[in-house]
Amino acid sequence: MRRLLITLLCLLSPALFAHEGMSMNMPKGPELGASAAFDSHGRLYLVDAANGHVRLRHSDDDGRTLSAPVDVNAIAEPIYAEGENRPKIAFGPHDELYVSWSQPRAKPWTGFVRFARSLDRREHFSKPLTVHHDHAEITHRFDALAVDGNGRIVIAWIDKRDVIATTAQGKPYLGAAVYYSWSDDGGASFVPERKLVDQSCECCRIALARLPDGGIAAFFRNIYGDNIRDHAYTVLRTDGQTSQVERATFSDWQIAGCPHHGPGLAIGSDGTRHAVWYEAKGKPTIWYGQLDPGHAPQHPLAIATTGASHADVAVHERTVWVVWNQVGANGYTLMLRRSTDNGAHFDAPREIASNSGAVASPQLLQKQGHAFVAWNTATGFRLIETPR
Amino acid sequence: MKRLLLAFALWLPAIAMAGSLQPLTAAEVPALLQPPARGERIIALWALDCAYCEPNLEALAALQRAHPHEIELLTVTTDSIEQREAIEARLRSMQMAGYPARAYAEASPEQINFLLDPDWGGETPRVLVIRADGSRLGISGALTPEQLQKLR
Repeated sequence: MRRLLITLLCLLSPALFAHEGMSMNMPKGPELGASAAFDSHGRLYLVDAANGHVRLRHSDDDGRTLSAPVDVNAIAEPIYAEGENRPKIAFGPHDELYVSWSQPRAKPWTGFVRFARSLDRREHFSKPLTVHHDHAEITHRFDALAVDGNGRIVIAWIDKRDVIATTAQGKPYLGAAVYYSWSDDGGASFVPERKLVDQSCECCRIALARLPDGGIAAFFRNIYGDNIRDHAYTVLRTDGQTSQVERATFSDWQIAGCPHHGPGLAIGSDGTRHAVWYEAKGKPTIWYGQLDPGHAPQHPLAIATTGASHADVAVHERTVWVVWNQVGANGYTLMLRRSTDNGAHFDAPREIASNSGAVASPQLLQKQGHAFVAWNTATGFRLIETPR
Repeated sequence: MKRLLLAFALWLPAIAMAGSLQPLTAAEVPALLQPPARGERIIALWALDCAYCEPNLEALAALQRAHPHEIELLTVTTDSIEQREAIEARLRSMQMAGYPARAYAEASPEQINFLLDPDWGGETPRVLVIRADGSRLGISGALTPEQLQKLR
């Protein structure tokens, strides 16, 4: 009998230790969600998250070497740093440095949008503040950050206060809502938030871009009818007027689910609204088009299909760049298509980088009319200059 | 001693259930896609950050209970197995802990997505049906009653 018990114990012990062994074999390290920006002097800044801190690094040699990190938030807190929900960075007109991020709360899907600034070129950061005045333990996350032509800091995010209030009354409500706020005092405080739209998608990043007149436009996945998840376009009004939200894509992808796949937007000096977005009504497809709110986009082009994800777009004069991640059986490639006629035609896709491990969504940056791609990978941050 | 052995024997299944979440690596995907000997294998893909996934899993579990000999149901979360505690807690709260469960165990989740189904962009919930005749069906989003009927 004793022998039987010993045999049983021997059989059991590898099973007990297997979990520990497996977790030891798993790759560890910070999540890859990161954002980068050039300041007015061409110095590159990068934010990501590690050990409960948003950390800031800079580079004077276009990303080849990075400085030691500086903590943006002195006191550690949980931070979302995944693909669609990553820390953001933007500069004010005098290189004021602004950082926002989403902070997970205790319950699933909850979060607070956080903000901090440095007015002395990263020497010191302000104590982080919560942007929204609503402090219910619900979703306020997927923050998007931009600075308008007057130096006003604009932040938009996904918010679930309305779905909670509506369904509590037994009424239906699809998705979440988009709210936004702004700061007129350089980030010392934010005005009470206002609702942009009801029934938006719950888990896709919001794209913000500056208009030629300095205003900030938003492009985001919205819900139409019975879970048709197309995109809406609007200008975020900060003058007391109501923002006019219009449907801007008409792919008719119906899904009661989480695409985790937000769009990209870049607006040319001529006002052309260059956009990229994802839908999987048939094959998963990344689309390019020029937004004509209320109507189908102009110059639509299927940029890439199977295995393509998380595109970004940029424009300078008549050059338009589109980059995306292409996954295959052996890892990822960073892909590029370029147009030199303001988006009427694009050249063939070309591979500009590859990585066998995990990668974050690519982000297009510009310096003196040249496009660079910020690509955070499990083997390190890379800044890749697009071929000229 | 006999009583001790009995207590131990009763304790064993509890251990097996509590640790039932298994990793899914890229190398293990082909085995998962092998056609079952009979009926259908239903791979229910879900994520912690997906509010639509819970009702979908409930509906698939109900379908499996209605056809226990034909349907082999397993859950696969696209979250990393490093989040084992949160995943197991959610599986228990969704009353899905009784089904075989896997969690992604690769640093690049999109690669497993691609290997499981190249026509899937990673949106959740996703259901992948593999039939004994080798045919497959993939559907994204919470399943409608009509879609549920088509699974088998």
